Amino acid sequence: MTVVVSGVGVVLPRARSAPELMAPAAGAPPVEPKDLVGRKGLRYKDRATQLAYCAADAALRDAGLLDDGGLRVPGGSVAMVASSNYGNLDTICRAIDTIAEHTAAAGSAMDLPNASSNVIASSVAIRFGLRGPNLMLCNGATSGLDAVHWAATLIRGGRASRALVLGVEPDNESVRAFTGGSRTIDGAAALVLESEESAAERGATASAVLGDYVRGAGLGRTLERLAETTGDRPALWQLPEQRAAAAPDTLLEGVDRHDLGEVFGLGSGALGVLQCAAAVGWFAQGGAGPVYATAGTDADDASAGIALRGRAAA
Amino acid sequence: MSWAVTGMGAVAGLGGDVDELFRNLCAGRSGVAELRGFDHALHTARHAYEVDNRPAPGVDVTRRATGLLLDAVGQAVRDAGLDDSDLSGVPVLVGTGLRELRSVELWRTRGADFPAAELHFGTALREAFQADDTHTLSNACSAGLYALALGVDLLAQGADTVVVAGVDVLTETMYGLLERVQPVPPTRVRPFDRGRDGVLMGEGAAAVVLSRVPGGRPVHGLVRDVAVNCDAFHVTAPDPAGIAEAIREAHTRGGVKPADIDLLMVHGTGTLLNDEAEATALADVFGPDRDKPLVTATKSMTGHTSGASGLLNLVVTLRCLAEGRVPPTVGLDDPVDEAAGFRFVTGEAAHRPLTVAQLNAFGFGGINAVAILEAAR
Repeated sequence: MTVVVSGVGVVLPRARSAPELMAPAAGAPPVEPKDLVGRKGLRYKDRATQLAYCAADAALRDAGLLDDGGLRVPGGSVAMVASSNYGNLDTICRAIDTIAEHTAAAGSAMDLPNASSNVIASSVAIRFGLRGPNLMLCNGATSGLDAVHWAATLIRGGRASRALVLGVEPDNESVRAFTGGSRTIDGAAALVLESEESAAERGATASAVLGDYVRGAGLGRTLERLAETTGDRPALWQLPEQRAAAAPDTLLEGVDRHDLGEVFGLGSGALGVLQCAAAVGWFAQGGAGPVYATAGTDADDASAGIALRGRAAA
Repeated sequence: MSWAVTGMGAVAGLGGDVDELFRNLCAGRSGVAELRGFDHALHTARHAYEVDNRPAPGVDVTRRATGLLLDAVGQAVRDAGLDDSDLSGVPVLVGTGLRELRSVELWRTRGADFPAAELHFGTALREAFQADDTHTLSNACSAGLYALALGVDLLAQGADTVVVAGVDVLTETMYGLLERVQPVPPTRVRPFDRGRDGVLMGEGAAAVVLSRVPGGRPVHGLVRDVAVNCDAFHVTAPDPAGIAEAIREAHTRGGVKPADIDLLMVHGTGTLLNDEAEATALADVFGPDRDKPLVTATKSMTGHTSGASGLLNLVVTLRCLAEGRVPPTVGLDDPVDEAAGFRFVTGEAAHRPLTVAQLNAFGFGGINAVAILEAAR
């Protein structure tokens, strides 16, 4: 079964569309969720969930699945897969500080749902009525690409006709302290993945075709396996986050490299989703040939990779 | 299509392996005890179902969830006859509600050393087993069975062997925030009883190895299929309609009718909301056949082990099917109205030949997972 990308939403300080991931805007005001999706329903939601609402809204609208009247397809046909490593770290830190200083009696019951790391995936499902399978990946450096893989697996397995895949990382004092001072993207990106058949049935336009997913030890080996499955060299390589180990020059020599982390900050659990969105942006601007999205270096527990192709080349 | 379970492992307060756990459950022993891990001065609740493996009473340490997980996975992998020194290329799916967030709390409050790379379990699984296709799925209290559903999908799409695990330990934030919504702190978990006060957290891990072709290995039981969905209703309250839908889908996927189910291993957390919603959904789906299956809820003895609970129940249920023995629901004396007509096992373990079981797990956010299991014969 062919799985295509039929919608993209990008909500970052320097990018509000897929093409802007490849050519970022200059100014960088923080994302203000109430300006994008209104105040309703934002109260008591952590920053990650608020950012997720914005990206989900944009992607579902881009795919033609959502209008002002609500979801335009049965809720059960849409799976939700979210990825974030640091999504609810701020809630955990604030709540444990309160307990340590003032006892558990001083805690807020409103923090209870946010203490469970899946609050992003379930909150988005509730807001938009997505009643299909609901997954929250918190899987380290590769988490965003893993989320894309699981969304495709759910579609191929017939569990859903389409899936919203969302990556988000909030920037706050707790996350900076925990990651040794890193500034995250403080934003989110989302994709709608769909079986080619389901997209065609409702007349939706596919902007990219999802290729095989590989995951295993070693970035070099991951690239080799991607080359084996695609039978082709990439035209563009989306680099993993290179905090601890840079991608050696000898890998994919001569292929254009794109480093989202350098421009937008620590992508972490959102990186893989950003990379796929950026590939869509690159295709939209006339980019041709496969794009390799890769996350996780030899300093991480594993690397993952996905190849994407533009619609025309499919 | 059904998938063979060729390896099982478990660790919980009631036992360090599947045998010990099942023996204690059948004997009706409860793992509840005075809270061990946190400062009592900070909490009004006093009880939990912890694994008693801290270095000293009241002294909590980082990476306890990781330790339990590695224990359970190691047991399951060796039981299946796999090489536990090289799981490279074998998908290892870990369902968890709270990841290593307890370690984050210890980093925050006591300056414990805890790197970001260990917040998910892949780093430790790589180190211990050379596993490099690892997935930490943070799906609240249905995480274990959600991971099982994904494992089944991988097998259906061509994988030969998949390891599925579930793990959780107490976090102080979840424990403390539960106090805010349960004004009278429970002293034990009493699923479906009118006098229940709510849920208490437990700790544990369980793992299974699923094989496309058992290859002559002993088979503990079969997973027919797993249904997963989302209520899309409320962040903490369950919706009986969404639960009923998940149960019906599980029956369809598993090719069974309510009358075919011999054993219902319910989620049964002992909260006011869950037990009513779960019983309402079960009554809706089972209708006049509600008196057919035996029903039990192990959280009465293990506490709510969150992301581990679905898989702990999986290994327990496969034992029930293999031995024709069902642990009692301890503390269930006076069932709620919604549960009327169901045959709860109470008092002591029940003995009866069993072939097909249904296993429920539901989580915060209305994420439901229902598995259909079959005895290996």
